[in-house]
Amino acid sequence: MAFNYDQYLRLEKMPTLWCWGCGDGVVLKSFIRAVNKLGLSQDEICVVSGIGCSGRFSSYLDFNTVHTTHGRTVAFATGIKLANPSKTVVCVAGDGDALAIGGNHTIHGCRRNIDITLIVIQNFIYGLTNSQTSPTTPQGMWTVSQKAGNIDPTFDGCKLAIAAGASFVGRENVTAPKKLEKLFVEAIKHRGFSYVEAMSNCHINFGRKNKMQSAMENLDWIDSITMPKKKYDELSPEEQLNLLPTGILKQDMEVREYCDMYEDIKAVHQGKRGVITQADFKKKI
Amino acid sequence: MSATREIISTGNDLAAIAAVDAGCQFFAGYPITPSSEIMHTISDLLPAAGGTAIQMEDEIGSVAAAIGAGMSGVRTMTATSGPGISLKAENLGLAQMAEVPLVVVNVMRGGPSTGLPTRVSQGDVRQAKNPSHGDYRSITLCAGNLAECYTEVVRAFNLADRFMQPVFVLTDETIGHMHGKADIPTVEAVQAGIVPRKRFEGAPEEYRPYECGPTDAAVLNPMFEGYRYHFTGLHHDAKGFPTEEIETCRKLIQRLEDKVMAHRDEIELNEEFMMDDLTGEEGEVLIIAYGSVSLAAKEAIRHLRKDGIKAGLFRPITLWPSPAETIKKHTDKIKNVLCVELNIRQYTEEVERVSGRLDIEGLYKVNGRAISPYEIVNKVKEVF
Amino acid sequence: MAVMIAPENTPVWVNTARCKACDICVDACPAGVLSMKAEPSSTLGAMIDIVAPESCIGCNECELSCPDFAIYVADKKEFKFAKLTDSAKARQEAIMNNGYRLPLDYKEAN
Repeated sequence: MAFNYDQYLRLEKMPTLWCWGCGDGVVLKSFIRAVNKLGLSQDEICVVSGIGCSGRFSSYLDFNTVHTTHGRTVAFATGIKLANPSKTVVCVAGDGDALAIGGNHTIHGCRRNIDITLIVIQNFIYGLTNSQTSPTTPQGMWTVSQKAGNIDPTFDGCKLAIAAGASFVGRENVTAPKKLEKLFVEAIKHRGFSYVEAMSNCHINFGRKNKMQSAMENLDWIDSITMPKKKYDELSPEEQLNLLPTGILKQDMEVREYCDMYEDIKAVHQGKRGVITQADFKKKI
Repeated sequence: MSATREIISTGNDLAAIAAVDAGCQFFAGYPITPSSEIMHTISDLLPAAGGTAIQMEDEIGSVAAAIGAGMSGVRTMTATSGPGISLKAENLGLAQMAEVPLVVVNVMRGGPSTGLPTRVSQGDVRQAKNPSHGDYRSITLCAGNLAECYTEVVRAFNLADRFMQPVFVLTDETIGHMHGKADIPTVEAVQAGIVPRKRFEGAPEEYRPYECGPTDAAVLNPMFEGYRYHFTGLHHDAKGFPTEEIETCRKLIQRLEDKVMAHRDEIELNEEFMMDDLTGEEGEVLIIAYGSVSLAAKEAIRHLRKDGIKAGLFRPITLWPSPAETIKKHTDKIKNVLCVELNIRQYTEEVERVSGRLDIEGLYKVNGRAISPYEIVNKVKEVF
Repeated sequence: MAVMIAPENTPVWVNTARCKACDICVDACPAGVLSMKAEPSSTLGAMIDIVAPESCIGCNECELSCPDFAIYVADKKEFKFAKLTDSAKARQEAIMNNGYRLPLDYKEAN
């Protein structure tokens, strides 16, 4: 018997609305296998998505699901998690969703280190709205809003998450679905904010206008710009310039999770301990 | 009359205390004058009561977190002022669409834009009616004294769960920062009056959260209890899934309108002050005012009465949906009607609409200062 | 509600109602098991075709990389898969060189 995805799917919603060959489906499948591997019950997990092609992610899953406004997934998830600290809360967002309109919530979710897993489906473009420049569109690529060629510099969402304080940061390609599944398992298991970038294709709205006609060409390009972290670390900064590392990029087990810390606040107000001071924290500034 | 207690506090603190007494378990806010004290106070009270209060990274994040908690099934609140509502607007629309109960306290200050942050205004009355795009009906309550900063917040929680949507409580800088004695219900009385949101108790496979009568609110069970469904801001079907099916879309939006408008009697609340002896005789004056302005209006009426002018106050406590029939009944009877507002005609236009009269007089002030009783007295003597 | 039904004694099978003919599984197969075929009723005018099930090595690559929950591979414990042969590799190469379709006149190497 093959792996039974159907038990986790809302079958009446199949087939998905995504284009043929869209990496979103591979991310969805890898996520389902990760949930299965972790033995999580469908009732114990909440999936929160935003706007964009990735926004449909939640509606296909037979979990507690929320389809929110553009960019606000982490903020909604923060409320859900704080009100239900023992449950698993997973956000799914696109690169525009998580890094442009929702950038502030992403940064502060990372900073609080609240136990939410944020899956960013990174396809270098605004796909749903037909090919506008996203914060990760490489310079020199064609977009419908910059037909003369994109001049906007990009940034690296994983580096942002590391700097902002996420205690788990990872990246993997949809061309490596088993690795992606493993990364999801580790990210969900990790208690703290987990930022996971799933490098995905949008051959329809990104590839076609940038000499990558098919899903395969787009995926080959993604493989060509990524490299496992171990190999990447051995390269010189110059060699690293046009590559992105994959795998677990950061995991900090020391830093405390936000809901756990909030228990201290409750304890203070319930007279069970003294006020929290700097002495309670290793990092003072 | 249920049991009461006396408390000396501020409007903002009373709003925070009311939330906790009404069973609120989650609060998310962002610093903004003149509402910040609500967050200051509730961030002590909620954790003591086992709940959670968080200061989010921005106004949008705070309303989103509050709605998230509401989706998961708990009573939840956010508080802000006009600029914050402008930022929260989109997600308030989501809460209307997905039918998530939420209490939003707006301590009004001068606008538009940054306006007069430390000064009083009632400039957000029109905004409260339609903060976000699309069709839905706002439920907006307006506290007119310290005690109502407490009782209207309690009422807002019960209405939010009854109608499954955000409920606004408007106060203003004057009343939010006013410090004094308030006679409020006991905690026991408040708790006895709590009507929690409806739950579906049948088999999960038979659960249709958005399948209800044409004037009913959705029945949304808490998350994580086996009733798995979908929240979305898109037009959705009985199980909450996106749809563009023509009849389903029409019925959904019509129901958002009708679930409020068909039950206005459950929402309407007014005060009629010294109106008992107004019979419709020549020379009688009806003042319509709400919120902190009504305190000055009451004082003005006492002065006017001393001067031989028979005046009374009609004060809507529920601003939206407006008490249309009640206002019309009074404006049909009394000729001289004066609306007093800390904005320009925001509620006067509603009074004109429901009364069908275009001779409603108005006293408006938009310089961030409160209206004094004498200004009202002089205005009455000037125009009538 | 339908749930997945695994056919008996079959190494790899397709739910054609979900397949969008993206070619990814054909590209992923190392053993020339899969090919696209013309299918006028499909959106892209093509549909997946299992041309050489007996060559399937059970690597699962097609299933893992299918974005649409359309292709399934039997469990290794329940089905005895083939070993990767040179003729299977040659068939795969022919399929790839012919735009993900097995040439109509293709002749097996041995």
